[in-house]
Amino acid sequence: MTISQSVPAGGPVGTPGAEMDAGEPVALPGRAGILRRLAADPIAAVAALLLAGFTLAAVFAPWIAPYDPYYTDLSKVMVEPGAEHWFGTDPTGRDILSRCLYGARNTLLMGLIGVVGGGLIGGVMGICAAFYSRLEGVLMRLVDILLAFPAILIGLAVAAISGPGLRAVIIALVIATIPDVARVARSAAVGVMGQEFMTAGQAVGVRDRVLIWRYLTLNCISTIFVFLTLRFGQIILIGSALSFLGLGAQPPTAELGMMAAQGRDFLFLAPHVATIPSLVIFVIVLAANLVGDALRDALDPRLQH
Amino acid sequence: MGRYILRRLLVSLPALIGVLFACFLLLQVVPTDPAAVIAGPDANAATIAAIRDELGLDRPLLVQFADYVVRVAQGDLGRSIISNREVLEELGSTIGPTVELMVASMVVAVPVGILLGTLAAVRRGRPADRVIMAISVAGVSLPIFFVGLLLIQWVGFKWGLLPFTGRTAPFWTWEGLKGLTLPALTLASVLVGPVARITRTAVLEVLGADFVRTARAKGIRERSVIVNHALRNALIPVVTLVGLQAAYLLGGTVVTETMFSWPGVGRLAVGAIISSDFPVAQGAIMILALSFLVINLIVDVLYVYIDPRVQRA
Repeated sequence: MTISQSVPAGGPVGTPGAEMDAGEPVALPGRAGILRRLAADPIAAVAALLLAGFTLAAVFAPWIAPYDPYYTDLSKVMVEPGAEHWFGTDPTGRDILSRCLYGARNTLLMGLIGVVGGGLIGGVMGICAAFYSRLEGVLMRLVDILLAFPAILIGLAVAAISGPGLRAVIIALVIATIPDVARVARSAAVGVMGQEFMTAGQAVGVRDRVLIWRYLTLNCISTIFVFLTLRFGQIILIGSALSFLGLGAQPPTAELGMMAAQGRDFLFLAPHVATIPSLVIFVIVLAANLVGDALRDALDPRLQH
Repeated sequence: MGRYILRRLLVSLPALIGVLFACFLLLQVVPTDPAAVIAGPDANAATIAAIRDELGLDRPLLVQFADYVVRVAQGDLGRSIISNREVLEELGSTIGPTVELMVASMVVAVPVGILLGTLAAVRRGRPADRVIMAISVAGVSLPIFFVGLLLIQWVGFKWGLLPFTGRTAPFWTWEGLKGLTLPALTLASVLVGPVARITRTAVLEVLGADFVRTARAKGIRERSVIVNHALRNALIPVVTLVGLQAAYLLGGTVVTETMFSWPGVGRLAVGAIISSDFPVAQGAIMILALSFLVINLIVDVLYVYIDPRVQRA
């Protein structure tokens, strides 16, 4: 296993004068390096395959789902898992496997938008706070205030304002991701700001725009990326908890947390209605967490503590 | 110590104002006119205007905010749109059960987590370590409602061991304690994993320290080395973590309370949001956010108490 391929964050990426294609994800180690390292860790490899499998299944749900997830068949209510319906059917006779595939779609999308949206806003905030010292006070106070609201509370607040729904949960997840990312991005960026190439760049009059993007952002991006991967599982848990509470996706939309909530009323008659969607969430989050851990160890061991 | 606490209080002031302002805005931006909601569907424009005037809804935002802060300080959080009871009254009866649930879950999770983490550190690399770490990763990946569903289905329903229908009595009675067990275990399940994990890391770090080697060289028994020398020093990060996890616990209480019909603040908040009872929702969200601030404050102070070096930093 070689370490040599991984360029440590804060490394020579932004060396003054070094011309590179701005669009390249330079700060990340070569893809082959990451893949090889993931493959060397069997648990992480299985987790990565599982996560990829779930993502593909969710993306291609309309093609692979055996039944229409919204088709109710009252002659087959709460059928236990079997050959015809692998995951059984729910109290209105809808196929749970098909609903899980469509549900995973909404759940994963929710988590992805939350992490990417929050990551972008929080990343920009953190990097700006590190670069413009005048902005630091205001931005970081804002982050402190956001940190005073645990994610579920943000969810409750957004749902109170805009009414329960998938949109409310996504907004809440974006907001909940911002403060932590901003902190991580800021501390990574402050580290880069102290490096000599940064001072040199400023001294020779490199424009701020270039300094921020090429010198600063590209050097912080792998840290932020790893942190977001680690957050992905938690964000999905929070989102599905909000859906479970009835504040997220509304019936008949399939969403895993909401499906579990619907099955709760029939827990003693047909436990599979609630437990199967919950189990799917568990496996997705577990896979995401394991992949996140492995990525952190491979890319940025500094985040470990 | 006193000065540190004072400084720490000053630092949390902006956050406090932020929390209050956010809660205040909650009522400002709701799509429905609170006056119209209070007046009811059959009210005429004059009544709505009168209520608007009474609530002071026509004044500038900052004036309304100042007014709001004064009212909150006096304990006036308005009235429930649905039950017409004072919000403070509704909240008052829910805080006890929520605190009860959170404390009970910590009483379960913290010792278990520390025990598992220490065990994993001492048996580093061996099967016990692997199993404990696997449990820990699984623990942080479990949706809390899944744990609750399993406990209700098996322990509560199939085996009939413990009730799961809410709080029937205070926790110091046998009845109340039994009712508290399943919700507390559910909530504890999210905390055990992180506590075990951080304890393991901390104990491993301390076990490599010079003073542990000295203790061993002096011939102190291994058990005493681990408990008195290593664990004591490792507890500092654990305390911080338990405090930070308060966020998750608060979030978890919302789900746990809803599942077990536990009459706490979280369930009140969810119910109020779903039934558009804005004053109650606002009050409940504010109480949850404020308690989060207070818990963090306590953790920081406790941190200094355990490790006085922090004060000088």
